[in-house]
Amino acid sequence: MTALPTRKLEAFRYADIDALASVWTSLAAPERVEIAAQQRLQQIWLPSGDEVDVRRVEMVLEAGAVARIFALNSASRYGRFELDVTMHEEADFAFYGANIGGGDSTLEIVTTLRHVAPGATSHQTIRSVLGDKATGSFLGRIEVAREGQQTDAEQSVKAMLLDRGATANAKPELEIFADDVKCAHGATVGELDKNQLFYAAARGMDPVSARALLLEGFVSGLWDEIEGDDQGIAALARDALRKVAA
Amino acid sequence: MNEEAVTNREAREALAKDYEWGFSSDIEQEFAPKGLSEDTVRFISAKKGEPEWMLEWRLKAYRAWLEMEEVDWAKLTIPKIDYQDAYYYAAPKPKPKLGSLDEVDPEILRVYEKLGIPIEEQKVLAGVEGARKVAVDAVFDSVSVATTFREELKAAGVIFLSISEAIREYPDLVRKYLGSVVPQRDNYFACLNSAVFSDGTFVYVPEGVRCPMELSTYFRINAENTGQFERTLIVADKGAYVSYLEGCTAPMRDENQLHAAVVEIFAHEDAEVKYSTVQNWYPGDAEGKGGIFNFVTKRALCNGARSKVSWTQVETGSAITWKYPSCILKGEDSVGEFYSVALTNNYQQADTGTKMIHIGAGSRSTIVSKGISAGKSNNTYRGLVRVLPGAENVRNFTQCDSLLLGSDCGAHTVPYIEVKNPTATIEHEATTSKISEDQLFYSMARGLDQEAAVALIVNGFAREVLKQLPMEFAVEAQKLLGISLEGSVG
Amino acid sequence: MLKIENLHATVAGKPILNGLTLTVPTGEIHAIMGPNGAGKSTLAYVLGGRPGYEVTEGSVTFDGQDLFALEPHERAAAGMFLGFQYPVEIPGVSYLQFLREALNSQRRAKGEKDLSGGEFIRLSKDKAALLGMDPEMLKRPVNVGFSGGEKKRAEMVQLGIMDPKIAILDETDSGLDIDALKAVGAGINSIMRSPEKSVLLITHYQRLLDYVTPDKVHVLSRGQIVRSGGPELAHELEREGYAEAAA
Repeated sequence: MTALPTRKLEAFRYADIDALASVWTSLAAPERVEIAAQQRLQQIWLPSGDEVDVRRVEMVLEAGAVARIFALNSASRYGRFELDVTMHEEADFAFYGANIGGGDSTLEIVTTLRHVAPGATSHQTIRSVLGDKATGSFLGRIEVAREGQQTDAEQSVKAMLLDRGATANAKPELEIFADDVKCAHGATVGELDKNQLFYAAARGMDPVSARALLLEGFVSGLWDEIEGDDQGIAALARDALRKVAA
Repeated sequence: MNEEAVTNREAREALAKDYEWGFSSDIEQEFAPKGLSEDTVRFISAKKGEPEWMLEWRLKAYRAWLEMEEVDWAKLTIPKIDYQDAYYYAAPKPKPKLGSLDEVDPEILRVYEKLGIPIEEQKVLAGVEGARKVAVDAVFDSVSVATTFREELKAAGVIFLSISEAIREYPDLVRKYLGSVVPQRDNYFACLNSAVFSDGTFVYVPEGVRCPMELSTYFRINAENTGQFERTLIVADKGAYVSYLEGCTAPMRDENQLHAAVVEIFAHEDAEVKYSTVQNWYPGDAEGKGGIFNFVTKRALCNGARSKVSWTQVETGSAITWKYPSCILKGEDSVGEFYSVALTNNYQQADTGTKMIHIGAGSRSTIVSKGISAGKSNNTYRGLVRVLPGAENVRNFTQCDSLLLGSDCGAHTVPYIEVKNPTATIEHEATTSKISEDQLFYSMARGLDQEAAVALIVNGFAREVLKQLPMEFAVEAQKLLGISLEGSVG
Repeated sequence: MLKIENLHATVAGKPILNGLTLTVPTGEIHAIMGPNGAGKSTLAYVLGGRPGYEVTEGSVTFDGQDLFALEPHERAAAGMFLGFQYPVEIPGVSYLQFLREALNSQRRAKGEKDLSGGEFIRLSKDKAALLGMDPEMLKRPVNVGFSGGEKKRAEMVQLGIMDPKIAILDETDSGLDIDALKAVGAGINSIMRSPEKSVLLITHYQRLLDYVTPDKVHVLSRGQIVRSGGPELAHELEREGYAEAAA
């Protein structure tokens, strides 16, 4: 068992170390998932319901494998989703994650994507909505090795703060050693559009409902690509938003 | 070169001459003993004839430095620096006395020619014996030109001196602002600098004054003390404006391994400071040997409401560069800007970027970073945009673009966005690209050879930054980019 | 229905409405016309309660209530509908979702029960058909990818769904072609022409008034009503321009 990390370690610079300590020794080793060549995998990560929710996954996508992960991070005290993905030739990976929290919760999504072979595609969409004194962070590192030509890696990170006292952090990192690649990332932090809020009010929506609806719109696109039963992730996200917007 | 440019050059050259004469010559010892100790600090202070408060300030820094830990977190492979194996004070070092231009390294001559530097000036730069005298007397009318320059500044009330002179002539001003933006303990190299800084520039622009000309440090690079620990302090009082240029496009041979400079800018209400750097340090040979380690702490404090500081830099050629010009946006509606082109080739490494700290309501920042990697180099942008809880209605826009030339180099971005106020609007975009075959083919089909085509495209990539530079610098910078790319294609 | 007395209002500190007085009786349709910069949209926004618009003097009574004592969403629940000149886009939120939420908010405020999903869909389909709009469009995010004409048509569908007491329509005809104009005109007539309702049409051009005949026309210039008359005033303005008529 390795030592409890400190905030000096990059991957834990925004973490709630005390909360982490409470589960550190009982943490299982990262779950290892291997997706065989040309196979498809979809995973839906629902919040565990525990106040401290740490999830660590290492994934390897063999040539042409496809993986889609939809994650809702909304633990009441500390939620940390850690994902390390290695992509082989022409693999296709997409991650859609939401950090939704209030109170003084600390929520973070930490991903490392390694493009080690040519032609792989990765796509990450992260949406955070933080209220009260919550902290939501996204640390997303994309590594493109020299062999990773024709990589197409994309990150779209957006965060919204509802109250002064809440914090949004983003570190969309790129380490690129191949020249024929498409690596674009965008990160924005903002607030609810005032014009949209007035439009909703003018149509009769009370402020709480309006905020909740607009926040829902902010997050809703995340679940569009889910195939089959969404296991309730959309409803859980809606509930979490209503709680935070109130 | 147009006439105006020549005149400015003349002025600078003349000032350099003037300036040089300013050094006292009754020095017994030429060098402080090797190594760094409290005695070294005392020696330096004594040599410069500094007042007691200045010595105490240096000593305080030295003692703090002893307790600090060196940084190694950047993506750099820094060979261990032995701080005891260096001279911290050297009398003005004479340039190697060469008989004529024929004895100058032909590589350097080739660069001078490409940059369009006239022969006489080449002699000065290369250190040909007797050159200085010839250049000044024959080509420039030094006294009258220098007088005009100085008089204009004096009439406007602008103080523009070496920091050593300023410590003697305006001690109150210096004391008030020195260390107010970069405190001694800020970081390892700033601390070292505070203890042993050799020289630098002091600028003070009084209330409401728009400095009538661009201030440049060009002359100081020609001066014989190449200053490895430079300290610059620029203060713009209420409503003042100054544009300051630092750097030189001609590669300067320099045996100093370590450069640890500190630049502080203090901007009062409604003041604006534009700080431009075009730097081409001798990059070491193609194998990466003999280059310079360049660690700089540059910071601006936008203290007053509506104050504005813009950092514009074009950096090429340093062996290892570590610099993050930053703005602390304390004043309401203050503005910070950072425009950078960093080009690395061969085995060079650059880790550069900026920090924008938003404290004042309504503060805004713009970051445009263009990294160009070629050869086997590594180029990293590292930035921080931080919004404190009390900072209402902050706006930031960041654009980080990397251009990779060839498949052996690396381009990296490490941005930190930390927002604690819900009304902030922060936008960050990053792209990575290479020169497309189509672009190259099109340019070459129009008659450009491959190197010229690459230079053209790279300049286009960097245009948004280059257009921030004062005109004269922009032209030099464009040429510099072209030259620095040589050998990168193919 | 609507009584505006000596209304003064500023936007970003600049005075735009300078003593505007106007009464719209129940059962009547009034038009306000005026040159650009006269304060037409400002009037609409002030009545709607948009942040950034400050009332410095005067009063407005709506259906017997002090309008300024109500928050924007309360004004909607009280029966006011504001038609926007530039309806905003809301990605991620479907029209159906948006309007159902809004309508139910209003119903709750009045002590009424929420409409069920099915009931609402039926209602919205009816109103969409009334205005010649494909109901499928309501499944799209609010106004995203809608042309100018489609946006205005959608505003009319909303008018039908909300069924307000007063409709304040800010340049509802701007950017519309003949067909859209006809549809909008027909919509206003069928939904709002009633002895219990009123309409305040704010418009720059006279065209819409060919389809919706007003009972009275007022000229707004530099933040005040400078002239009032019957429907023929609109034609006079068309012929002579604002400068002449306002003289």
